[in-house]
Order: sequence, then C-alpha cells, then structure tokens
Amino acid sequence: MKTLETSSIGKAIDRIDGRLKVTGMAKYASEFPVENVVYAQGVTSTIAKGKITSIDVTEAEKQKGVIKVITYKNAEKLKESDEKRPAFTLTSVAPVLQSPEIHYYGQYVACVVAETFEQAQYACRLVKVTYEEDKPDIDLDKNRSKAFKPDDQADYSRGDVDAGMQSSDVTLEATYTTPIEHQHPMELHAAIVSWENGKVKTYASQQILNDAKTAIADTFMISEDNVQIIAAYLGGGFGSKLNVHKHLIMATMASKMIGRPVQITVTRQQMFTNTGMRQFDEQKMRLGANKKGELQALAHHTTSHCATDQMYYEACGNVSKMLYKTPNNAVTHRLIPLNLQVPNSMRAPGEATGSFALESAMDEMAWKLKMDPVEFRIKNDTQRDLGADKPFSSRLLVECLRIGADKFGWSERKMQPRANQNGNWLVGYGVSAASRRAPYRKTSARVIADMRNGEVYATIQMDGTDIGTGSYTIVAQTAAEYLGIPVKNINVELGDSDFPVTPGSGGSWGAASYANGVRVACKNLFSKLKQNAGVAEEDEVALEDLMKSSKVTSYKVVGTAEPSEEYENHSVFSFGANFAEVWVDKDTGMYRIKRMVNVGSAGKILNPKTAYSQIIGGLTMGAGMVIAEQTQVEPHHGNFITRSLADYHVPVNLDLANIDVVFLPEEDKIANEIGVKGIGELGITSVAASIANAIFNATGKRMRDLPITPEKLIEASLEAGV
Amino acid sequence: MAVFKLKINGKSREVDVDPFTPLLWVLRDHVGLVGTKFGCGIAQCGACTVHVDGKAVRSCQMPVQLIGEGEVTTIEGLSEEGDHPVQKAWLEQDVPQCGYCQAGQIMSATALLKENPNPTDEEIETAMSGNICRCGTYTRIKRAIKSAAQNQNA
Repeated sequence: MKTLETSSIGKAIDRIDGRLKVTGMAKYASEFPVENVVYAQGVTSTIAKGKITSIDVTEAEKQKGVIKVITYKNAEKLKESDEKRPAFTLTSVAPVLQSPEIHYYGQYVACVVAETFEQAQYACRLVKVTYEEDKPDIDLDKNRSKAFKPDDQADYSRGDVDAGMQSSDVTLEATYTTPIEHQHPMELHAAIVSWENGKVKTYASQQILNDAKTAIADTFMISEDNVQIIAAYLGGGFGSKLNVHKHLIMATMASKMIGRPVQITVTRQQMFTNTGMRQFDEQKMRLGANKKGELQALAHHTTSHCATDQMYYEACGNVSKMLYKTPNNAVTHRLIPLNLQVPNSMRAPGEATGSFALESAMDEMAWKLKMDPVEFRIKNDTQRDLGADKPFSSRLLVECLRIGADKFGWSERKMQPRANQNGNWLVGYGVSAASRRAPYRKTSARVIADMRNGEVYATIQMDGTDIGTGSYTIVAQTAAEYLGIPVKNINVELGDSDFPVTPGSGGSWGAASYANGVRVACKNLFSKLKQNAGVAEEDEVALEDLMKSSKVTSYKVVGTAEPSEEYENHSVFSFGANFAEVWVDKDTGMYRIKRMVNVGSAGKILNPKTAYSQIIGGLTMGAGMVIAEQTQVEPHHGNFITRSLADYHVPVNLDLANIDVVFLPEEDKIANEIGVKGIGELGITSVAASIANAIFNATGKRMRDLPITPEKLIEASLEAGV
Repeated sequence: MAVFKLKINGKSREVDVDPFTPLLWVLRDHVGLVGTKFGCGIAQCGACTVHVDGKAVRSCQMPVQLIGEGEVTTIEGLSEEGDHPVQKAWLEQDVPQCGYCQAGQIMSATALLKENPNPTDEEIETAMSGNICRCGTYTRIKRAIKSAAQNQNA
C-alpha cells in the first residue's frame, strides 16, 4: 500500500482561495455577468413613524431607461407574519412594499428599476412621497414603561440573588452600556436575481443559503425547490448577511414583475437602516463575594430595544449563567419597541456585549477585594455549566488565564492604578476571560472521487459558505485527511444552495459542522467502494488502490454528520483569555492599545494560519467596540446621524499594535468526532473588557460606557480608593 | 458623454462616458475589471485603490476626465502571474480573509514600497490607515509588507 503525503488537518497551509483574493479574481455577488440585467434601487422613508398619504411616481417613470417603479400600490402580494411583532429569525419572511405604514426612518417605500444603475439612482430622487407623520418612539428612557419580556428564554434564575448579596462581604452594583453598532462588511449587500418560469436564481451575499432559500420561498409562497442561491465568495458578513433582508426580496419581486434579471446593491448609507445592526444594551450587574473572593451572587439584567414591527434580542446575560461558579444567579432580558429597524446578530451577539459587562464587573470586584483579577477568576472557575446544569465538554479557562499571564508578563502589573507611568503616558494592564458557545449542527457533504491519469482527485460540494473564515481551506484539509490524498488533488465547491445542506456560516458553528460533514462523506465513500470491491470494512486500503481494483473511475456519495447524544448532554464552549497593555495620555485622554496576548482553547485547530486570522479579526472588531464604533441616533426624528464610513469609525491599521495569539493544544471529542470548536467569534468576546480594565489600571477611572472616547475619559472621576 | 482613451494595465481602452464618471465605475462597469472594489464611494475606505502613474489613488473619487495620459494599473495588472512580491507575501502571511478590501490594500502597499522600500512600522501604519479591513487583517498586513520589503530588496 502506497502512503501518500497529505496536507491534512492541523497543518498551517496557505488558504486555497488565497490566490484568487490577491489577484482580484474572487467573484462576489454583484460581479457575475448576467445577460439582459437591469438595476434596482430602493427609495427610503424620511420619517420614522406614520403613513404614506401619496406617492407620485410620474416624473420618475418618465425618465430615460426607467422600466418600473414599484410601491405598495402595485407590488406583488407577499407573505406577512400573522404576529404583531414577530421574532426576526434566520428563516423569517421579509415582506417589503406591502403597506403605507412606516415603522422606522429609512424603510423602503419604493423600488426603481432601470436599464442602468445611474438611471435607477437618479429616478429614485424623483419619487415624491408625502406622509402623515406620527411622533416616533426613539428615546429608550422615555419609553421604559413599554419594556416587555421577549420570550420564555429571556429570564433565568437559580438560588436567591438577594440572599446571596446580603450574605456577601463585598458587593458591586454597576451599569454598563454599549451603543448601536453596525457590522459593515466591506462588501455591500448585493444580489443579482432572475425569476424565470416560476424559478428564482440569485447570486446573493448570504451567509446561510438553506435558510435564505426558505425565507425567499416563504415570502413568495413558492416551493423551496424553486429557489437557488449562489454565494461563492462573500466580502464579509459579521452577522449582517445571516438573514434575508428586504432588498433581496425587492429585487426578486422586480425580476418577477418585469421578466428580466435584476441587480441590486444596497448603498453604504442604506446599510445603516436596512441590513441589521447591533442593538444598544444597558446591562445592570450585581455581584457579591465573600472575603475569600468566592462569588455568592451574580445578577445580569439587560434592557434593549427592538423594532415596533419585529423583534430580536442579543442574550447578553447568557454568559453570566455559565462562566463562573456562583450559587445564586439571575438573568433577565427586556426589550423596548422603538421606531428603529430591527437589530440582528453582530459578531458574537450577546457574548461580545455581555462579556464586556461581566468581565468589567469581575475586574471591579477584584479591585474591591484587593485580589489579582486573574486569581479572582481562577478562584471562581467551574467545570460544570451551572446555567444549563450540564458538565462542560472541556473547559481550559484556567489554563488560558495562567499561560496568557505568563506570556504577557502579568506579574509586572501593579494593582494600584496610576502606578506605572512612562513620561506623559499612564500604562495599564487588563485581562478578560473569553467564552463562546461552540455549536455543531447537522451537515451534509457530497464527495465525488475521480481517477485521472492513475491518480485520485476529489470534489467536495456543500452549500456552506466561506465568508473569509477559511472554509474552503479547512474543507480541503479535512477531505485530504479522510481520503488520504493531497490537498492539491481536492477541489472544493461551496456556496450553491443546490449542493448538500449545511448550517452555513454563522454562530461559530461553521468549522465544526463543515469538517464533520466532510468526514462522514469521505468515510461513506470508502465504505461504498469497499462493499463494491468485496473488501472488509475494517481493512485499510488506499483510495487509489480501492478504485483501481474495483475498476471504478468515478464515484459519488453524500454523507451527513449529526451531533451525538454525548454532545447534547454537555455544554460545549470555546474558552480564552485576552491580556491588553494600554497607554493613556494623562492630559488628553488619548490612548493606544500597545499589545495584546490572546490565548484560546477551541478544540482541534484545523489550520493554525486561518485560525490565527479569525482571532486577530475578532480582536480588531472588539477593539473597535472600545475605541470608536457607535451609531448615533437623532432623538427626535429617528434618523441615524452616522451615515457613512466617514462618521462611523472602525479600527484602522494604526489602531492595532502587536498581537500574540496562542492556541492550547486540545481535542474536544465530546464536541464532535474531529474535536474541533468554533473560533470565529471567540476573539471578540474578551477584547472590550480587557481594554477597559487596562484603562482602569492605567488611570484609576472605570469606564462603563462604550466606546471609551478621550473626552469621556478626561471627564470621568477617579474610582474610590484610587 | 465623451470618448476617453485610457491606458489601463498597459493596454489602451476607449470608453464613452460622462467626464465626471469616477474611474472606479469606468473600470468595473465599462472595462469589466471588477477586481477593484466599491466600499464607501467617498474615499474613506480604500477598497477602490488603483495606481495612476505608480501612485495610489482612490478611484471612486477620481473623475475619468482627470486621468489624461496617466497610466492606470489595477490589481489585475499588478503582475502577469499574480506573483508580485507583495502578492506573494500576502499569500504566505494569510492576509486575505474575505478578500474584498485586499485589492485596495495590495495597491496601497505596492505604492508604499515603491516610494519607500524599507518602511518602518510607523510608516506602514500611516500609509495603510486609509485602507479599512473589516475582517481585521491589519497585524498580518504589517507583517506581509515587511516580508515583501525584505524579499524585494534581497
């Protein structure tokens, strides 16, 4: 038997689609050449609440190149939810242009279709809309009486938090706030849609194709078999492309109505009001501990907002249910309906913001207890998820903290703030734990093995996507591992909803799900070929020999992986720790993130190179939460003041200094057979608190409201005891 | 509308467009070179960066009538085989994630190295801070520019 060298699981091979991405050849949704294509653009509302009283489209329709102007008066009838305020889910219908009602500023009120993009955009400006305007609900504070509990999972408790607080030696009550943020993937939301003979084919920038297929089919009340979505490459998603947003439905409707393929690109400005956002969160924390530093009580109450006509919430408090050992715990989530678009998932929804509150509060408690923040966390470690009442499949948080502390030089940290100065700079060290659920979902893959010139080549097909995470590469590596052939002989085809169904990219489940789906498909291939060749299942035979001996030149098989009972009986999370050194100018409040050390424990790392990229990406977006990112809402009319990348500030090259990333060697075989866990969101969960805590260590000022801007920092007072 | 004769990636191309049409639209919609991307439309993100006479230019804000005799180079024309030292370094360091901003990043990096073959960290940060990457590849970009500089000068 010939042993073939593969570049299999765990090797740091170059991204297999890297070449396409450094030569400008990777094709994104709007870049596919489609014949006879026309262009659609949305017209958006200029009020936040009320009713359209008239729409005059005559001028717009007269313009050269304009084919059709669609409004609620002539739109196709679409499926709408029966509920007053339905939850915004991955398969939600997305009706658009169905009524004159306006629920938020920037809502689509018309769609212009023209021969060219410029003609469509010009004609959009000529659509005259008049409204009967109502006073919108914009301000969270003024609408607190409308707060409601969104669903049965929103509240949780164990023990008695009040009793725990009373019996504690040291207590803390603090409120943390995080602003509305926008995902802003660099690629604008875009699609080209053809409706032909009752069938929809679309190139669309979507993260989860099977769910998007359901959403489109349901909205148009057609069979899912009549919808095909292609998303070979996505220019980032970060959660904003999880759901089907209304532009995709609008373009599909336009194509159905005019009988030609329609291209739509949501403008950067429209991406503030129409393609999702992270909601504003107000998190009230109560913590109590005894003198030894053992947590006695932990409460985490989140108040946020949803749309008046749709509901979504990020579960900020979930992290407080599971991260530390505390007998008394209470978590609540409340939503206040406002006249803003419905929020949706942004990288690590709930965990990114929830961890900021919890891990800041843990730092505050450590300071009150005069304990080292690393030791305080270790003291309250638990190997059982008390929230779910299940053991963790694996949890190496203590190891992440210890190894990170060592690598970072944490022992040099002075507990007293303002004690480390370098000229005009106040130097501070901060730490935060990281945690992110590492789900694994049912996944299918097709493997097609072909003999060519005496060598085996394989094609893997899945409806999964690569949103920049490296899915193409890890799928190829996994196939190489289980087929015993080199990566260069493997062709990976993703991003076509006609391929076998996967859970898509999102929620940190992509890598574990894709890899295991491929594993089962490859194993099935061997089983079938062995059966055909009369070889016993347990015999080890190379794929090449197997195909040669049974004179098979091409063979195709599908395999499906599913979570095991053991997985269901455990709590499966990735863990980590982030250490940050921050320098704050003591006069101006300006600060720099000098270096970060991030340690992660995320099961088997399929490719250290692409995994490292995921972590630094999360760290960078997390740094953005602290240094700059916020969407400002105009409080009277509900428009966003930040409407472009000139005023919605995201991190740039200058903002990030040295980052060290360490992965602990681990295989979590309870999580799944390959032992892999997600890392796409792990990085972002620990950054904000680690930087805020470093700022406290540098300045003695506790910053509980993100982003931490220099003016807020100058105006803040010193904490008691500093 | 007016006819413009442009030199793009060493070839002459003729387009009949409004003189104020941004170069980016000419490249993507009229010439069919879609490697250069639209990100913000207001020269704030760098995704549309190309070279005009070797200098990095934000093509979304460059009206085609201002190009004149200028030689335009896009990501497609940076190297014949995709093997420019910067492209090679980008691959080795796994810079691209989603890849969307990377044409702009690479064009900015190559323009920087042309002017300054051995940039310091600070010079890299200054030159590259007009190119946003939402995937957060900055750490890798710095490393790749350093590595390309070494290989280029070797």
